[in-house]
Amino acid sequence: MSRKAIKLVAIALILNFQFSIINSLQAQGILGGHVTGNIQFDGQISRRDSVIGSDNVPEKLLSNARADILYTNGNFSAGLRYEAYLNPLLGFNSQYTGQGIANYFVSYKTQTFAVTAGHFYEQFGNGMTLRAYEDRFLGIDNAIRGLNVTYRPWNGVTLKGLVGQQRYYWDTRGLVRGLDAEISLNDIVSNWNESKTRLTLGGSFVSKYEGDETILSDISGYKLNLPLNVGAASVRMDLAHGGFGLQAEYARKGQDPSIMNNYIYKNGEALWLSASYSQKGLSANIQAKRVDNMGFKSVRSVSGEMLYINYTPSITKQHTYAFLSMYPYATQSTGEMGLQCDFIYKFKKESLFGGKYGTDIHLNASLITGLDTTVIGGKGTDGYTSSFFGTGDTYYGDISLEVAKKLSNKVKCTATYGYMIFNPIVEGHEGDIHHNHILVGDVTWKINRKNVIRFEAEWMASDSKYDAAIDDKRAGDWIMGLVEYNFTSNWFVSFSDQYAYNDGIGNYYNISIGYTKGATRLQVGYGKQREGIICIGGVCRQVPASNGLTFSLTTSF
Amino acid sequence: MKKTILTLVITMLAALATAQNAKVPENITIKTLDGKTVETSIIQNNGKPIIISFWATWCKPCNRELNAIKEVYEEWQEETGVKLVAISIDDTRSASKVKPHVDGNGWEYEVYLDQNQDFKRAMNVVNVPHTFLLNGKGEIVWQHTSYVDGSEEELFELVKKIANGEEI
Repeated sequence: MSRKAIKLVAIALILNFQFSIINSLQAQGILGGHVTGNIQFDGQISRRDSVIGSDNVPEKLLSNARADILYTNGNFSAGLRYEAYLNPLLGFNSQYTGQGIANYFVSYKTQTFAVTAGHFYEQFGNGMTLRAYEDRFLGIDNAIRGLNVTYRPWNGVTLKGLVGQQRYYWDTRGLVRGLDAEISLNDIVSNWNESKTRLTLGGSFVSKYEGDETILSDISGYKLNLPLNVGAASVRMDLAHGGFGLQAEYARKGQDPSIMNNYIYKNGEALWLSASYSQKGLSANIQAKRVDNMGFKSVRSVSGEMLYINYTPSITKQHTYAFLSMYPYATQSTGEMGLQCDFIYKFKKESLFGGKYGTDIHLNASLITGLDTTVIGGKGTDGYTSSFFGTGDTYYGDISLEVAKKLSNKVKCTATYGYMIFNPIVEGHEGDIHHNHILVGDVTWKINRKNVIRFEAEWMASDSKYDAAIDDKRAGDWIMGLVEYNFTSNWFVSFSDQYAYNDGIGNYYNISIGYTKGATRLQVGYGKQREGIICIGGVCRQVPASNGLTFSLTTSF
Repeated sequence: MKKTILTLVITMLAALATAQNAKVPENITIKTLDGKTVETSIIQNNGKPIIISFWATWCKPCNRELNAIKEVYEEWQEETGVKLVAISIDDTRSASKVKPHVDGNGWEYEVYLDQNQDFKRAMNVVNVPHTFLLNGKGEIVWQHTSYVDGSEEELFELVKKIANGEEI
């Protein structure tokens, strides 16, 4: 018998053995539980097009696939994830190329105690010291492989501890240890139980270890004395009283020279504040943030989006209309200041501005600047000093007003105006700040229960001009139209076109057809697409840049 | 070798699972809008149907769905006793805007935050919106991803059947 045949027989025997054990255990009522999962497949067949910058794709077909399988039985659960990038879609790092089991875990969880071994995702507070997370459509996965324990000694007290290494494409790197404590005062102070005011306090400490390496300082050429253990700590609070809410977190990080901060020894610091008031039909929220040298990665020499231990999110609004989200802002973890305000108001039915069905207004504004810094040296020094309240260059700003109105039982409209300023320096280019005015109209017409049409028109006037040297394909003045027809409640077809009518280049046309049944969704598209969030056919998802045929399947079971 | 292990594990898991409808895991940690940590076992409705809707503040179809149901929620509740539980998957970037968003839109749903997305993963949610319908025993009897204007009427037909104890 050949080796292969022996292997097959062995597998068959093991399977048979497995089934008989399982059957007997099930018959005795010992086993049970549920298997659930989800499958995703995304493929692209690319056409070359130098105008929109899609590279020549020698393999013609690119695909990302993944399957998660979860087994749950009472307090016990286990999971396995298979991923295949053959080869990865445009916009995904080529280091993903390959296939295999990317994630596995077993977990046992009761009300007071939980333990997970294997890959896990975790967040301490707002994530300023630690956030292991994934975004499958962006190709980010910072899962930690190791041990994660949660313990609740008393109601209202949560303690977490973890140790592990972080996922780096198909490998794990670094060493991360973390502790977190959260106390809900209303649950532990007996007579606060019924109080309308809720106060939750928390704190965390995270440390990473990495062996020594040779990095030379700028001036003398000496080898830098690198810290092998780097710690970060934070304190936080969450106060709620009726419609009022106040949240704050402050984090500090020890000396952490890395490729991100050009190997300087300055301590890191971050502060985040959020205050809000809301009642039915009215709400206001204001957020402020200051981040200074707070990039925290488990490997000091790796740039890019992998291996981040912490998370300092952008506080700007997540826009989903194409032109409003054309220049997305990403946090500059080396340093920035930010302020954001959000206001929602509902004009009641039968009021002056409300009309028959009421009118919704949503106003949002944000401004992000650099820090006011003074350079004191290069590699091996503290790098710079910064004043706490001082601001530097403007990085990004936007203001948007959205008015939504139901005109009749069949027709709903939304009109949006946005003004945006964007400094190309945040993407690493020198150049003038862009100023963009954007108008969006969005009309949904429900002909009847089985037939719904949505129209979207967008216009963007910009002072930016296309420059072949920089090759920013978003520059110039643009118009866009989109028609989406949903029929039989399962099918949709959409057509959209973005066209640079002045100072820009490109014509992004796309036709998509989709079918949704239950938790299964299939979509096929043809055309040119920018990367970004797209909301068509009733869902929103991040899509990579593409040119040619795309298909996407997701299902849950 | 890896493939062999994978095959073994999958067949084992498939054999382990019983045929009954899956329930919502009860021990996943989520947060209330005023910051209290709770477990998913809090999602209860005294033997009446429950709708669980995964959404995010930035997701337009999600907002259209929750706004459309808002208009008819009172009638739905009177007729069937159904409860809608909205699970926000917003992360730190927008999590602190969830309560203002919910109040500003005048939603009277039970809303929880799933910032670490543990619940989202446990329920195999890939895209938002993703809606689950639970019968009186807490079993998941139907799920759907995406929202198109008017599809809440279809959901309500199912809720009525469930409330009457019919199979769907």
